Parts: sequence; C-alpha cells; structure tokens
Amino acid sequence: MIEIRNVSLWYGAGHKALEDINETIPGGRTVVICGPSGSGKSTLLRCVNGLEHFQQGEVVVDGISVQAPGTDIHKLRSNIGMVFQHFELYPHMTAMDNITLAPVQVRKKPEKDAREKAMEILDRVGIPGKAFKYPGELSGGEKQRVAIARALAMEPRIMLFDEPTSALDPEMIKEVLDVMIDLARAGMTMVVVSHEMGFAREVAHEIIFMDKGRVMEKGTSHEFFNHPKNERTRQFLSRILL
Amino acid sequence: MDFEVIARNFPFMLGGLALTIQLALITLAGGLLLGIILAVARLSSRSWLYYPATAYVHFFRGLPLILVIFWIYFLSPVLTGRSLNEFLAAVVSFIVFEAAYFAEIIRAGIQSIPRGQAMAAHSSGLTSFQCMRFVILPQALRNMIPALVTQAVVIFQDTSLAYVIGLREFLRRVNLVDAREARSVELYLFAGLVYFIFCSIGSLCSQRLEHRRERNSL
Repeated sequence: MIEIRNVSLWYGAGHKALEDINETIPGGRTVVICGPSGSGKSTLLRCVNGLEHFQQGEVVVDGISVQAPGTDIHKLRSNIGMVFQHFELYPHMTAMDNITLAPVQVRKKPEKDAREKAMEILDRVGIPGKAFKYPGELSGGEKQRVAIARALAMEPRIMLFDEPTSALDPEMIKEVLDVMIDLARAGMTMVVVSHEMGFAREVAHEIIFMDKGRVMEKGTSHEFFNHPKNERTRQFLSRILL
Repeated sequence: MDFEVIARNFPFMLGGLALTIQLALITLAGGLLLGIILAVARLSSRSWLYYPATAYVHFFRGLPLILVIFWIYFLSPVLTGRSLNEFLAAVVSFIVFEAAYFAEIIRAGIQSIPRGQAMAAHSSGLTSFQCMRFVILPQALRNMIPALVTQAVVIFQDTSLAYVIGLREFLRRVNLVDAREARSVELYLFAGLVYFIFCSIGSLCSQRLEHRRERNSL
C-alpha cells in the first residue's frame, strides 16, 4: 500500500513540480498515471522510492515513511522494483549479472540461488535464451524485459514503471506490455507512468491524469475514458486517442 | 662515437631501469587508488569531503613535481624526526602528486556515466558505495583507459626527477656512468632511446585499448 499525503516539491525558488498530491494505492492495485510531459508524473513516481526529495508532505509505503529520518531507505527500495524509460541496464554486465547483482549484494543471496531464480524469471518474461547476452546485443523489447526481470528478482511488493514503452519501436511495445499485464493480473501493486491507453483500459484499477504538477482527474478506467469531468483531460484524451 | 661504453655499463644501467619501472608501477597503483578516493570525494555532496579534496587537487596541480619531491624529502625529517630513504620519499612524492591528476581524470570519467545508471542501482537497494563499486566505476574506468595510460606514460617519464634527491634510478645511473666515462652523446642518446621505446609501448597499448573499446560499445 502506498499513501501519498499532501506532497509538494519544487526545484530552486519558484518552479513547483508537484503541488499538494494526495493519493492512496492499496496493495494489489494497478494505477496508471498519464499527462503531458513536464506534468510531474515521473517526479511523483520517484518520490515513492525516495529517488526524489520532496519538501512538503509525506509518502508512506507499507507503513514506512520514505523521508522519515530513521527510515532505512536501502531496505525500503529493495522491496520496490523500478523500470525506466531507457532501460538503464548495466552495459558492462550480462543480462544474468544485471539481474543477480542486487539479490547477491543487497539480499546476500547465494550466487547459485540468485542465478536459478534469475533463469526462472527470464523464462517468465519470455527470454530464457538471452541470459548470457550483453545489453548491447539485445533488442529494445528484450532490454526492457531484462530490466523488468532485474526488478522482479528482488521479489518486490511494489513495481514502479516510468514510461516503460516510450523508447521502444512500435512492434516491441506489445511484448513488454504483455509482461506487465501478466504482472498486474498476478496481483502485483503497480504504479505505471504511461500513455499506453490500451494497457490502462485493460488492467488499470485507477487512472490519474496530471498537468502542471497537479492531479487534474482520477477515476476508474471506465469513468476516465467515457466520462472525463475535467476539460483539460478531455483535451488530452482527444489528442492522444485520436 | 663509442657505443662500447653502453655495453660495458649495461648491467649497471639496467639495474636503474628496474628501479624506474618499480617506481612507476607503485606510483600508478597508489596514485590510482588515492585518485579514486579524491575523485569520489570531489563528487560528493558532503562539504566536509568536497572541500578538502578539491583543495588538495588544486594545490598539487599548481606545483611543479620537483618541488613536491624536495618538500617530502627535506620536510619529513623536520616533521617526523626521521629521514625518509630516497626511494620511499620518491614514492610518496609521486603518489601524492599524481593522485591529483588521476583524480581529475577519474572524476570526468565518473561524470560521463549517465545519471540513470546510478538511479537504477539505487532503486534496487544498492548503497552509494555498492553503486560506485559495481555499476559506475567499472564503466567509468573503462572509458578512462586511454587517458589513464597517457598519464601512466607521463609518470614513467617523471620518475627521472627522483635523481634530485639522489635516487639511483635509470637516468641517474646513466648520469653516473657519464661522469666516469665522459661519453655524454652516446649515453644520453641511449637513455633517450630507452624512454622512447617504453613510452611508445604505452601509447600503442592505449590506442589498442581504445580501438577495442570502440568495437565493444557498439
């Protein structure tokens, strides 16, 4: 469960990136955040695992306050998987080593167990044959699936996705979305920044629309697509859905 | 011209070359290690790390190496009450001095790694140290290899300055042979050739590594 309470964040003196965000995401739910670029979606996502520092409010993940002084941020992060737009695989390591690094170093898992688990997950994301390839030898879709596998290897309770398909060629988007849909159906708590409205329609329990650092609208996918209340949302949808 | 003089004194001069190589390798290892620490400190957001490291780098980059050698050699007895032997004094001077240069090379290398890499590492629960050790430094060092090899070549040449405190490294021994045999032209041509060969090997290695890196980063 993720609780975001009155969170505000600004860069420098004036520019407010997030303004008074309130959101509760119960365990097992999938929430999709959309909105124009610069609306604060990715910033909000990074507040959840403490990669971004906010000045006001509180983010509580499974009962632990992210920015509280006593919080073991490394431990907290190890339970939250994150997937990035540009994959951010470690280029000097094979897919296998990318996946086992954190389980071995953070969880102190024996190398052998970590490798077995990694193979299992690679199988689950559909690329068991790529375990010993370097990121440079993989296609975009394969890279992103390795990145998802890397996050899953820590057996996280929550997964954060930051525009996971935006950097992919159109024909590779589906293979990544399919993995995400499986995850959502398996009951993973997911926060997904994405403009993949098909994905949102299919698995999102809630859709949030952000603009200029504020939540403009939120609702179930049915409400969101069929009866958007906010004028800005309607505008956005008409552009994105053509 | 009498090149016989070189053959006659070859073992003696070779002994100096061994010392020169030893000095260069120890400096390389020590300078690199201290350089990494300084570079990381210079990139730290903690001011108690950043300012001393920055001051250190600027200080030593603003001094000639020969002065640092003199300082270490003549100041250490004043400070510690014991005199340092020439080899140790040379090693300490070189490490302390070259680390400042290494630090800047390494800092640039670390900064060349995209920010997303550190973000990915941190998001998986790795500490800053683990992130540096497993994710950032291996990539950064690989990018830095050409610059580091160039600096290693410079170190090899710089070791000749240790003659000022009487260390009998290669150039000093050539110098001693010359004092005895009075064959300056032949001897210094020979010394030049030796430095040239070693430094060329270094440059060649650097080019090779760079080619390999380009191929691997495709």
